[in-house]
Amino acid sequence: MKPWKKKFIHRGNKMKKWTILAVVFGLLSAAGWMVVFAQEDQYLERLDSWAFESPRRPGAVFSHDDHIMDLDDDCSICHHVYEDGELMPGESSEDYYCSDCHSLTSAPDNKMPLEAAYHNLCKNCHFDRGKGPVLCGECHINE
Amino acid sequence: MQTPDNTMTEQLKDTTDLKKTKATDPAIESGLKRLTRDRIKRTINQVLEKETGPRFKAYVETCMRCGLCADACSYFLSNDRDPHFMPAAKVKNTIWKMLAKKGEVSKDFLRQAVRISHLECNVCKRCAMYCPFGIDIAYMMLLVRRICHKLEITPQYIQDTVNSHSVTLNQMWVKDDEWIDTLQWQEEDARDEFEDLQIPLDKVGADIMYSVIAPEPKFQAGLIYQAAAMMHAAGMDWTMPSTPGWDNSNMAMYTGDNEISGRIARAFFETAAKLRVKRVVMGECGHALRSVYDMGNRWNSWAMPPFEVVHALAFYHELLTEGRITIKEKYKKKVTLHDPCNVSRGRGLHDKARQVVNMVCENFVEMVPNREHNYCCGAGGGVINCGPPYKGERMVNNKNKAEQLAATGAEVLIAPCHNCHSGLEDIIHHYGLEMEIKFLGDLIYETMEKKIYTPGK
Amino acid sequence: MNSFIAFIMGPMVWISVIIFLGGLLIKFFGIIWSVRQKEPYIFSYMTVRHSLRSIGAWLIPFFPKSTRLRPVYYGVSYLFHILLFVIPLFLASHIVLINEAFQVSWPALNNSLADWLTLVVIAALVFFAVRRNMVPEVKFLTAATDYLLILVVILPFITGFLAYHQWFAYRWMVVAHVLSGELMLIIIPFSRFSHMLTAPLTRAYMGSEFGNVRHARDW
Repeated sequence: MKPWKKKFIHRGNKMKKWTILAVVFGLLSAAGWMVVFAQEDQYLERLDSWAFESPRRPGAVFSHDDHIMDLDDDCSICHHVYEDGELMPGESSEDYYCSDCHSLTSAPDNKMPLEAAYHNLCKNCHFDRGKGPVLCGECHINE
Repeated sequence: MQTPDNTMTEQLKDTTDLKKTKATDPAIESGLKRLTRDRIKRTINQVLEKETGPRFKAYVETCMRCGLCADACSYFLSNDRDPHFMPAAKVKNTIWKMLAKKGEVSKDFLRQAVRISHLECNVCKRCAMYCPFGIDIAYMMLLVRRICHKLEITPQYIQDTVNSHSVTLNQMWVKDDEWIDTLQWQEEDARDEFEDLQIPLDKVGADIMYSVIAPEPKFQAGLIYQAAAMMHAAGMDWTMPSTPGWDNSNMAMYTGDNEISGRIARAFFETAAKLRVKRVVMGECGHALRSVYDMGNRWNSWAMPPFEVVHALAFYHELLTEGRITIKEKYKKKVTLHDPCNVSRGRGLHDKARQVVNMVCENFVEMVPNREHNYCCGAGGGVINCGPPYKGERMVNNKNKAEQLAATGAEVLIAPCHNCHSGLEDIIHHYGLEMEIKFLGDLIYETMEKKIYTPGK
Repeated sequence: MNSFIAFIMGPMVWISVIIFLGGLLIKFFGIIWSVRQKEPYIFSYMTVRHSLRSIGAWLIPFFPKSTRLRPVYYGVSYLFHILLFVIPLFLASHIVLINEAFQVSWPALNNSLADWLTLVVIAALVFFAVRRNMVPEVKFLTAATDYLLILVVILPFITGFLAYHQWFAYRWMVVAHVLSGELMLIIIPFSRFSHMLTAPLTRAYMGSEFGNVRHARDW
């Protein structure tokens, strides 16, 4: 008999039942808490999707503050600058709209259409860092 | 005409319990007694693994159990939509279970398998037209019959015809001299009507070899008379063989005795080759056409028959459209036409058949459904050949056909196929339909100009 | 969690598509090889013309008589099979993902239309399941696997529908959607779903036998 098994035998059936119920209840409430509060505790803002002519989904929601914090105030990670297809390290583009460079469809001076620019920038980073939303409805939360 | 509905429902009341009386077939029962578990398993697996291929595998794997085949089956429709009679269910109760149990099936199962494949499916292939995937259930039922054959549990009557084929190369134990005798007798009789008429025997190099099935010399010799009359009036260069090989029927094809079946077809083609004829014309028989046009030639490795095979329907069409035979006065009575599976679904002769009927008869009415979609006769796929012990249940299984026939209101039913003819005759008597049944040749003979052909004219 | 999602939406998609297409391809060539080995006569009866004639006849809605005898079932089935391909292939969300991966895209269905069509597919599958249990002749043929097959198809559609509406447990719903879709693709070559390959073949063969040898129609 393994020592960890002994423990349960001595406790008897009644105890065991209550233990299981307590664990299940605990797990359920934890899950419920996560579902309810996971989204509530962020200062979420919805991105304005005016640059898209007829968006199929509501604009993405995200928290700018959280991103500033998590990225150690390095704006250029998102507000990047590309010249001739090359990333300009250290340069940032906070004063521009994304759509200033990223037109809706790809053009000679823009290989990355606006929608793909958003998707790639956000999702790839979230995948790389192993955190943050990566599925359609996690950003494009229904209104 | 009696009111068909009343007659039929009354008749059905009498016959429903016939279904329950279990016909005990001595051949099946004694065959089952001889079987061992090992032999059953070995035989089933041998047939299903070695004698089939990707085609069978695809049929088994592709069926989605949609049930669309049900409405195709005359047996299903005749038995108040009892699912046991639907085509896919017959496969389920035979092939699927054999596959699932890897051949380890009981004798009771086999008794049921014989019954399903030999008595509850007439291999008419109507269901292949109703299955969206074109799954050939008749092929699988013939496989079951093949297994039954190899296990030697084929019903007695049909096995006897195969035995006859094996010994005499004809279906009805007709002896060689009886055959020649019958032809000469018919020739003699016909000379009263047509001076100088001949049934030329073994005329090497003739245009046409005329062939019949063994039941014709056995008990329908008049049909040979009529054919000879037509050949004579049309002035054809024809002959009939005096040696075995004259019979184009093939019951072994229906019991799954492929070896005998192949031998029969081969003997038939060799007889035609010996006579160096241009083509083979055959009487009004459906399964014989299936044997020499579709199945027998394949067993002998001919993709298509080595001779042009002309079924009576096509031949009549040729004689009438070419004006070799003229109709004196069209047939007056109201006729309807049964499209036998093997000549319509099996050979596409339904349109020619209609043209002939319209050339010969004044008043033709279609039965519904017709052409390729015609209901099965419930006889000619080997079912009627299982003999009198099963006639009762055959009549129950023919209810649907009887209703179809009654709905036409015709006085005469044309059935250009021997087995259909016999089966339909039983239906007419059993269900009290006031209908005469005839071959198309009967009507042509009756209405044609009885010209006396003189050579060179 | 993100790496798990990256796996099921990345390599796992490749794996399932390769199993699906590769499985069907292997099956197809296996059949051809096996026909050559065991039943070469099949090739001598198959003709392109009659094969296409028969397949074509059966693709025209309500043209074959069999389909007119069962108009409701056939109609639902016809619609279902079209939508089964159209919805996943022309769904905006799917096209976006494919576009990100391969920089190719094509016109997408309107989202709300796709939403309704998904409901049609789900309803069709429920209809199939009910029919299996209601129509005696179909019930007679039905085994547990038949319901299982319906379940396998209905899952990606239900989870996809719920995920689109984000009603609850969104993340898990998408995971279930992706996995069930992949499951369906993977089992196609190994189940009766392979009728998507074999049915045209059996139809073509029967069409050729009827057209080429029997000189009759098979619809």
